[in-house]
Amino acid sequence: MKTFLKLFFSIFILASFSTAKADTIKWLHLFGDDDNSMPGMLKAVKEFEEKTGHTVVMQYLENESFKAKLPTMLQSNDRPDIFYSWSGGVMYDQAKAGFLRDISGVVPDSYLQTVSAAAADAFTYGDQRVGLPKQVAQVAWWYNKDLINQAGVDVSKIKMWDDLLSAVQQVKDAGITPICMGGKDKWPVHFIWTHLHIRNGGKALFIDSLNNGGWGRPEYILSGEQMLELVALEPFQKGWLAATWPDQAGFFGDGKCAMAFMGNWMYGAQAANSASGEGLGDDNMGMFNMPMTKGGLGDSGDTLGGINGWLFSSSAPDSAVELIMHYVSKEIQTEDASNGAYIPIVKGADAALENPFLQQVAKNIANSQYHQIFYDQFLGADIGRVVNDVSTDLAAGIISAEEATQAVQEAWEFNQ
Amino acid sequence: MKTGFKTFYLYLFLFLMAAMIIIPLYVSVMGGFKHTGELRTNSLGLPINWKFENYTSLLGNSDFWLFLWNSTVYAVGTTFFVVLFASMTAFIFAHVKFAANKFLYNYFLLGLMFPFATAILPLFLRVRDFGLLGTSWAVILPQIAFGLGFSIILFRGFFRQMPREIFDAAFCDGCSYTQFYFRFTLPLSTPILATVSVITLTGSWNNYLLPLIMINDESLYSWPMGIMVFRGEYFTDWGKILAYVSLTLVPAVIFFFALQKYIVAGLTGGAVKE
Amino acid sequence: MRSPKSEALLSRYSTIIIFLIPALTIFTLFVVLPIGEAAYYSFYRWNGYGDPEKYVGFKNYAYLFKNRVFILSLKNNFYIIAISLFIQLPFALLIALMISDKIKGATFFRTIFFLPYILAEIVTGLIWAYIYDGNYGLVAAVWGFFGAEAPFIIADKDWALVAVLIVIFWKFFGIHMMIYIAGLQAISKEVLEAAKVDGAGSFITAIRIKIPMLIPTIKLSVFLSLLGSLQLFDIIMPLTGGGPSNVTHSMVTYLYYFGVMRMKIGFGSAVGVIIFLICLFIAIGYQRTLMREDNENRF
Repeated sequence: MKTFLKLFFSIFILASFSTAKADTIKWLHLFGDDDNSMPGMLKAVKEFEEKTGHTVVMQYLENESFKAKLPTMLQSNDRPDIFYSWSGGVMYDQAKAGFLRDISGVVPDSYLQTVSAAAADAFTYGDQRVGLPKQVAQVAWWYNKDLINQAGVDVSKIKMWDDLLSAVQQVKDAGITPICMGGKDKWPVHFIWTHLHIRNGGKALFIDSLNNGGWGRPEYILSGEQMLELVALEPFQKGWLAATWPDQAGFFGDGKCAMAFMGNWMYGAQAANSASGEGLGDDNMGMFNMPMTKGGLGDSGDTLGGINGWLFSSSAPDSAVELIMHYVSKEIQTEDASNGAYIPIVKGADAALENPFLQQVAKNIANSQYHQIFYDQFLGADIGRVVNDVSTDLAAGIISAEEATQAVQEAWEFNQ
Repeated sequence: MKTGFKTFYLYLFLFLMAAMIIIPLYVSVMGGFKHTGELRTNSLGLPINWKFENYTSLLGNSDFWLFLWNSTVYAVGTTFFVVLFASMTAFIFAHVKFAANKFLYNYFLLGLMFPFATAILPLFLRVRDFGLLGTSWAVILPQIAFGLGFSIILFRGFFRQMPREIFDAAFCDGCSYTQFYFRFTLPLSTPILATVSVITLTGSWNNYLLPLIMINDESLYSWPMGIMVFRGEYFTDWGKILAYVSLTLVPAVIFFFALQKYIVAGLTGGAVKE
Repeated sequence: MRSPKSEALLSRYSTIIIFLIPALTIFTLFVVLPIGEAAYYSFYRWNGYGDPEKYVGFKNYAYLFKNRVFILSLKNNFYIIAISLFIQLPFALLIALMISDKIKGATFFRTIFFLPYILAEIVTGLIWAYIYDGNYGLVAAVWGFFGAEAPFIIADKDWALVAVLIVIFWKFFGIHMMIYIAGLQAISKEVLEAAKVDGAGSFITAIRIKIPMLIPTIKLSVFLSLLGSLQLFDIIMPLTGGGPSNVTHSMVTYLYYFGVMRMKIGFGSAVGVIIFLICLFIAIGYQRTLMREDNENRF
């Protein structure tokens, strides 16, 4: 009898333990049903649920709604366990406010070895690890081969900023719109100004500015002046200040302009937003990196782009981290890469990239000594938007290069 | 002869105005039948390739009807309470002499003076602390609160214009306030009841920000939140969005048509003979 | 034994209280308290997370009064008010007068003219962004018809505000029309009949009888328009986003764009408080000069 009771109780305790261990994980993301990140995510969820017995609840919010809602969501009991992030300033604010969980104890070194170190670092705050990376992206000059050839421009000769200016002038002289730009959304414009910062100032200066201020330094004023040189050529399409990013992608895909300075997602977007739905074919598109500037302290291999991934809220269970480690793994990232879904960060997965442009980007980033995350993400919600505003104002010709840097400096001071 | 001309110009003017309104709406409805690319190249004409599936896939989507239903619940719930509470309040302000009358009336006017966008965060914290977050009340109660000011103004204005004789008669009969309110004021106020209802219904129906912040559970989403489903990070399916939005106009228009009759009722009662 | 008078008084006051309590409670909890809290936040630098900690006194306000974009948004609000008062409202009155008579199709027109108000703001902004598009919109079609290249109104710093004003007019004149129609119906039929008998034509009737009797309604509509103009937000954001180059911001879009979206809740609250004070000022001035308290129908 006694043994029976002992057995009964131990089974009971074991059983209650295992049911107590079945978590419900809330995963907040912004990938629509049609997005090609979805298959990988769904597969990961299915495999994970089967393997562990935990339940995963996925929630979708579109981009703007996501950004609007996240601050309040994090302060309620409905907070997600896992949510998407572009790292940078917004993440620091969330960490400072105590909304993120330090998962250093849950992520084994063996896992960290499998992902790109730079990518993993992007999701640390001080000595805390608060998230895991998913993908990277890079901003470069996309161009329409037909139109470029028509204008007689040889892209391989564009090594310095002045070469780019001549090319733009040449395209313009040929009666073709040089650059598509979505000024209404502002962030497409800031890519140009900030990439010039990367060329002129380089990594060390950026870190110094971040920590000690000095956004008004001559290297950054130079970027503004260089941008004004470009703007003086009137390179953008008519009414560009009212064009949104989808408009910009659509114009490019319709073959209405020779170049666009945009992230690698332009590949899919220009087709999706074009009138025909097909966009420019692979044969008709090309990509080259932002040229170097004279006397610039940066390296010509430095890149501007994003490192995106997943953050864990303060109440996230260990199983949430395990889920993401399962998702961001060689098998799934390889499959996603072969579908051209995004540029993976798991080592070796990029070999599966078939798309030539994504391959190029993956190589650029892997070789880059300094991959700067988009300023408008990295510098946080406030300074980031100031950067977008002044970039657009510069391009519209209503402020000077000094005023632009001054605005950023003021915003930085305000946020100290 | 003169009246002929006048009538002609009258109608011409009215039709021109109507055109200015119908054209943008037509663009929206037709847009739902177009492919996204065509929207940019052929915004005004009839669709070259009719894409019926934007509309049909929505009508067949159970989520679509769920969101419409949720929005209806929020709208009807808000409107019912606004009409009830605002008319009760305005009744007192309009007819009863008491010390704090003017002060309290002005108190309610405060609701018109503060931009909702600023109140979102404090409102969120309050709703959260009451434990109402994620329920329909999280949407309905703030909407009632913000709708009261406007509605009280309209009701009070209308009540004050009501003819004196009715009051005197009823009051002499020993009518109490409550009886008077239910037996006389409300029945005679159909035009203003209808107006306030339409305004409140519309406001609630189109409200995007409040439900976004308060509701997390997809089963309680309002229809504006449903638009999200069609927006990816890099690509927006404008065709589906326009179809969606055109469809959601329909209930709002039906509300209006239904209530329209009450506004018209007063007119046909003692119509001016031509 | 209570005297009949005090009993009546008690029942009178209890009725008042019962009738007022629901609205008062909900309103205080969900409007007044948040306003108070927002005013409190305006003295802090706060990003919305946790509790406000960094007290900055009047710094947020001081910054506003020196800020070029805020001053511009203030000016824009006044332009909007001017257009509403001098163009939109008279127009709405005109239409209300035209279609409240029993003309054929009154219902049809009334519905059509009210439709823009029913349309959600996001949608209005989107549709009009199309229309104004210099490449494919109505503007392009019309200009193209005359063989000219269309302007990009929304991209133009000088004309963008005009474009916005047109949309505001389009969207809101219907609601004022409705208010006037409701008011017109409150005019007693006997008076109109009497005028008819006296031989007054519709024009004279309108000017001499209807409009004067509509004055309380008109005052109301003006008041609502003033306050409403200061709160405009939902329609500007999807249309221009406050641009280009921040020339089309209203105070509320400024608040949202420079305050809320940048996680500067304290700063945004300061803007909200300023808007509130302006509205308060208008309301008080309005009450003193234009709205006389008449004690008709009070018992």
